[in-house]
Amino acid sequence: MIMSNRAGLIAGLVLLIALLFMPQIASHIGLAISVCTEVLLYAIAAMAVNLLLGYTGVLPFGNAAFFGLGAYGAGLTIEYLHVGFITSIVLGMAAALVGAVLIGPFLLRRRGIYFALLMIAFGQVFYFIAYRFTDITGGEDGMNFARPAIEGLGVVLKDQQFYYAMLVVFALVVIGFLLLVRSPFGRTLVAIKENEVRARYLGLNTDRFIFVALLISAIMEGLAGACFGLSIMFAYPLMLDWHNSGNIVLMTILGGSGTLFGPFIGAVIFVVGQEILSTHWIWWQIPLGALFVACVLGFPKGILGTALDLFSKRRGGFAFEARELVHGTKLSEREIIP
Amino acid sequence: MAHIAPEIFNGLILGAFYAVVAIGLSLIMNLTGTINMAHGSFMTLAGYLAFAMVSAGTSYWFALFAAPILALIVGVLLERTLIRPLYRRDPVYSLLLTFGLSLIAEETYRLIWGDNGVPFSPPLALQGAVSLGFTYFPTYRLFIAGVLLVIIVLLVLFLQRTRLGLRLRAAVQDNEMIAALGTNTQLLYMMNFGLGILLAGVAGVLASGMLGLNAQTGNALLMPAFVTVIVGGMGSVFGAVAGGMLIGLTISIVTLYIPAASEIAMYVLMAVILLVRPRGLFGEEGIFG
Repeated sequence: MIMSNRAGLIAGLVLLIALLFMPQIASHIGLAISVCTEVLLYAIAAMAVNLLLGYTGVLPFGNAAFFGLGAYGAGLTIEYLHVGFITSIVLGMAAALVGAVLIGPFLLRRRGIYFALLMIAFGQVFYFIAYRFTDITGGEDGMNFARPAIEGLGVVLKDQQFYYAMLVVFALVVIGFLLLVRSPFGRTLVAIKENEVRARYLGLNTDRFIFVALLISAIMEGLAGACFGLSIMFAYPLMLDWHNSGNIVLMTILGGSGTLFGPFIGAVIFVVGQEILSTHWIWWQIPLGALFVACVLGFPKGILGTALDLFSKRRGGFAFEARELVHGTKLSEREIIP
Repeated sequence: MAHIAPEIFNGLILGAFYAVVAIGLSLIMNLTGTINMAHGSFMTLAGYLAFAMVSAGTSYWFALFAAPILALIVGVLLERTLIRPLYRRDPVYSLLLTFGLSLIAEETYRLIWGDNGVPFSPPLALQGAVSLGFTYFPTYRLFIAGVLLVIIVLLVLFLQRTRLGLRLRAAVQDNEMIAALGTNTQLLYMMNFGLGILLAGVAGVLASGMLGLNAQTGNALLMPAFVTVIVGGMGSVFGAVAGGMLIGLTISIVTLYIPAASEIAMYVLMAVILLVRPRGLFGEEGIFG
């Protein structure tokens, strides 16, 4: 435990330093700073999926609804209510929370593929609202809005400053996520994932726990979506679409679900890969689809999960601590991936 | 009333499409736990194959028959190679895999047939309109209604009255038991998947003549089909038909009065039905019939 805490701290610091110099590294390899921001924000979105998929054991295919609600929540309040920077983010998160409160009770009746099916269907309703109510949302074209000034300071963040602001947000989310999954609440979620019937027999109202996990996940998605909207100063219906849900779930699985840094790794590969492929090749959806297939068939435990397995075969006993390090919490062998 | 009657017919036809697609989705989902996100792509595939055949000079009737079968062959090949290894794993994997396949498929269609839709009209014999006494109605849509009705009836007979249909229903209930009793369940899964794709293929060919044919034709029908599965009750053929009709009617009537709210009305309907009947209209999980 002590060992893994120290190792986790070192890994986190190394990552933080790498991310601090990310804009410089990115400009050397010809990537825009907005791509670095996008990586951080999709990493938050994928961590939100991870909370449900990797720690609670329900499949949130439809999470993009909350991501998009965050973006539209921020965009609409900036456009029509002229709110400030931080207020718009908070209101974006609130919009996602309201969305989750509305559809959550329908999802909670079921588990397994039925939960997934209900979430696919209900998640799409916000897409159609954004798509159809053209007068307010701009419809298919989306809506442009300006990045507002920070309250009290009167400063509008430039792209580079925005990246560092998002880095602070990302670091806070990682710390918060770690505390969450190590808390009794987080341990309960893992217990539900392992064996929900047993958790029920222990007297836990598992519906309520899953509902709260869904709300937390939606708030995280809303945060990521609102910040992403502010980053590109644009909100469009495809943010809410199930294709975006598929992308975020893939990032989670690709990096390794049930691990602390897996979703981040997935987001780096996905966002940077998409950026490079789509600039060089018009038909980039084909390699993207092939990535889905390859990930599912080749790396079902994700990159981090597979790496850990190799590590554990080599080092035997040490692996357990290593696993604790990346999972942020002590999970047994079989709960990493069902 | 005169202006609403054609909308009711259109709604019922749309509903029949949703029902046929939803039955295919439901068959695959109930037996193997796979949510087939590529279902819409198979519909589009059959549509484009039929278009290619008709362009090459074959008759429409041959294409209507052959294109779904070709789609079925593609589907079964994919099931055997890519999807089957995932049956024992968490549903997230088959969901992501079929999602990836649909991305590849869509882009491939755009590569071959272009970004914009292709003109694919029904044969001359099916063009024009028929008088129904109080209103005129396009012949092609009546033809669609007839074909879909026949398909649904044949499907119910197959599931209820044949040994294979019995085995399929039994496998949904307890696939280990039916395997122990000597049925080759892998073969059963393959046929079940093929049946779902065949239904999607026929719906795809018919729909592309009515709704237009582009890379998104199938996907446009996929989301209402998911809603149909939920509204009708998962695993119920009768529920899928009733749910599909209800949704088709709702969409077409709401479109007449408030066009912007047509899809949203579908979700309101779904929410209300789930509040009243949490398992859908005829939901009895895992049983076809």
